[in-house]
Amino acid sequence: MPSICFYFQVHQPFRLKPYDCFKIGHDHEYEDEAKNRDILDRVSEKCYLTTNRLLLDLIEQYRGKFKIAYSISGTALEQMEKYRPDVLRSFQDLAKSSCVEFLSETYHHSLSYLYSKDEFIRQVGLHREKIQQLFRQTPTVFRNTELIYNNEIANFISDLGYKAIICEGLDHVLGYRSPNFLYHPPGNSRIISLLKNYKLSDDIAFRFSNKDWSEWPLTAPKFATWVHQAAGNGDTINLFMDYETFGEHQWPETGIFDFLAHLPAEILKHPDFDFKTPSEVIESFKVRGDYDVHPLSSWADLERDLSAWLGNSLQHDAMERIYKLEKRIKDTNEPWMIETWAKLLTSDHFYYMSTKYWNDGDVHKYFSHYNTPYDAYINFMNVVTDLEHVLEVNFEKTLRDDDRPEAKIIIDRSVLQPVQNLTSSLPHQVL
Amino acid sequence: MHLNVAAMKVLMLGWEFPPIFSGGLGIATYGMVKALRHHTDIRLIIPSYSGSLNIPDVDIIGLNKLSESELTTDQFKYEAMTTAVHRLPLTISPYRSINDEIIKNKLDQHDLSSDDVRTIETIHDIFSEKDMYGGDILKKIELYTHLAERIASDKDYDVIHAHDWVTFSAGVRIKKMSGKPLILHVHSLETDRAGEACRNGIYNLEKDAMVDADRIFAVSQFTKDQIIKHYAIDAEKISVVHNGIDPGEITRKPHQLRDKLVVFLGRITHQKGPEFLLETVEKVSRVYSRVKFVVAGTGDQFAYLLETSAYKKMGIKFIFAGFLSKARVDELLSMADVHFMPSVSEPFGITALEAVQHRVPSVLSMQSGAAEVLKAALKADFWDTDKYANYIYALLKYDALNNELSEHAKSELDHITWDHAAKKILDIYQQLIQSENN
Repeated sequence: MPSICFYFQVHQPFRLKPYDCFKIGHDHEYEDEAKNRDILDRVSEKCYLTTNRLLLDLIEQYRGKFKIAYSISGTALEQMEKYRPDVLRSFQDLAKSSCVEFLSETYHHSLSYLYSKDEFIRQVGLHREKIQQLFRQTPTVFRNTELIYNNEIANFISDLGYKAIICEGLDHVLGYRSPNFLYHPPGNSRIISLLKNYKLSDDIAFRFSNKDWSEWPLTAPKFATWVHQAAGNGDTINLFMDYETFGEHQWPETGIFDFLAHLPAEILKHPDFDFKTPSEVIESFKVRGDYDVHPLSSWADLERDLSAWLGNSLQHDAMERIYKLEKRIKDTNEPWMIETWAKLLTSDHFYYMSTKYWNDGDVHKYFSHYNTPYDAYINFMNVVTDLEHVLEVNFEKTLRDDDRPEAKIIIDRSVLQPVQNLTSSLPHQVL
Repeated sequence: MHLNVAAMKVLMLGWEFPPIFSGGLGIATYGMVKALRHHTDIRLIIPSYSGSLNIPDVDIIGLNKLSESELTTDQFKYEAMTTAVHRLPLTISPYRSINDEIIKNKLDQHDLSSDDVRTIETIHDIFSEKDMYGGDILKKIELYTHLAERIASDKDYDVIHAHDWVTFSAGVRIKKMSGKPLILHVHSLETDRAGEACRNGIYNLEKDAMVDADRIFAVSQFTKDQIIKHYAIDAEKISVVHNGIDPGEITRKPHQLRDKLVVFLGRITHQKGPEFLLETVEKVSRVYSRVKFVVAGTGDQFAYLLETSAYKKMGIKFIFAGFLSKARVDELLSMADVHFMPSVSEPFGITALEAVQHRVPSVLSMQSGAAEVLKAALKADFWDTDKYANYIYALLKYDALNNELSEHAKSELDHITWDHAAKKILDIYQQLIQSENN
């Protein structure tokens, strides 16, 4: 009896305000509050509220037969708390339905696994607390930022006590095998890898409104027949995508909401098919083999690698510069410092610096509020430079010989009040 | 592709030519002719040719070395000298330098209408002056027009290609005399040099010539837009041909100075934005002390720049290098950390490409042609000195940015070559000649 397993990614970064060199040493507020609020408002109206309402209706209508999962980053949740409590409540309503599962991820939607295991564990812990606090659930399935994955990550996640990890279903790893089964990383039977069926997922997420696509227009009955073809040749069809697919990337005029509204009925027309959440899927099916991934993979772009965040020297430089501050920042024991620093780890900051598809001005540009990748880098680095100044002046008192003529900075202590009552202590054990 | 192009003959009218030039026009003419010569027969008429830069297969006629035989063709003989010379109502010289007053005006000693000018020695004398735009430029242009027309009287060419306003009159006259198609190549407009609102004699000369021309080459989309906007020329008639640069490896010679070097290359005129340079220097200095701005070039705003920088106590931030030869510019760029071009209106800005060649990242005015072709540069509106300063600060402070930009830009140069420009030019030559034949 094959299942459909939906997981939607919800994420919003704390975007930085335009921060030029003249602000360094004078201005220690880095967030673009207006922009973050505006974007959250827009996405809330176009996607979150509408889609949440539709999905909740479907859940009620199908009484337990329609199920979904979310992974919502901590930064997105925090912004909802701050600017759109109504949106947060609508997610909480979904949580109460018992047909919705929430996954674990890094609180700050970071690439911290690659740079600092300590910080990674801290962020996973913060996110768990947040999910427990807001949704009264304890996640058992892990989703790493942008589905960044390899055997080593899977093993690490398994050591943290998770039962499953979400990842991309890579053709070159699978070979002739189907992503519609459960796999293990080689030699580790304690964790299950849930593979995204990228063909069917991307039919919805990317191709849905593409009129040049031979299958356009995509209807719920047509999609259901494709899904039904897996009968007898698959246990779970994992449809993983950005939540903004609904209403934001695919506008309402494309018919995306109609499609979604009719999908459960069409899928369930086949008596063998049902919907399951990730933790149900791993309880229901047997593992069919090893999924052996060595180089880091992700769900991004055609390459499915890390080049969107670490594809040029600017991204490497910015990433190394910010992670290098970890010990000094944590030594301050100042929640504001730690939180401000951690927000700078969010992957989006580095994505904006990508020069990869710059010439085509395509998907990367769509997601960036900067004119150029250089602007993104400069803005980020100016902020980091200021954060280093704050560190030196307020916490380390060891001013180094610097090129600024007026190196001594007077900091308004009020900015050092924590903006959020977040724990800054490192949990030794997440679980 | 250009099979029947092989026989194509081009009469090219130029003004500046290396090593004698004051701006990008000379470098552009040289680069273009070098790339075109493989595909066409070129005869290039320029006022002054030193002979030190020889281009094989190109017939370069410098009026400073004109021979009697080149002037006396069967069809034309001495008739030209007896035809009336129309005086152009020009009121402004755009390239006036501060040395104007002391330049000995040799032309004044000669009257074009007198027999005096007919001697070849006088012609040599007039066109041997170092300053291309010095003396009585209008009289020089008249004489150039006159002589070019005589040289062209053999009509042994298929297309006329004239560079900038100084040669436009000659181009139009030769077109009318020969009936051959005329291309005007716009490297710079009077509205760039004298300000958008200017409607002087040079403006009228440019406009009338553009109306008469069969085709116009603009060195950038920026310039094409200016031509449409200020000269009311039909967009269809204008093709954008971006300048190029010859590929070449250049060795960096890192300097041993404590301060980093930001370089400004170009004439110090309003067009080049000296006041924005000054403002930017002030702002950068506030946040980054170990920096010097090297200004290479001269012009009528030099005194303003010098005096104002002194008054603002910013003199210590500047190194005024004066006008530098190509070799000295190369030397300066090989040790520079940042290239800065805050031009108010820059048709192309070939110095930005030279900087890239030396692996120096550029901070450019958005109102420039170079900003169109270089993706890997930091660009701001010409008046946005806060943004300029932020960019320069970042390039001085963040090495990764400096490296990424210079490497990326260097790879972009592979597509910004004279060969690339030549292809475009040849296609249009061919179109014009074909429609002429039909």
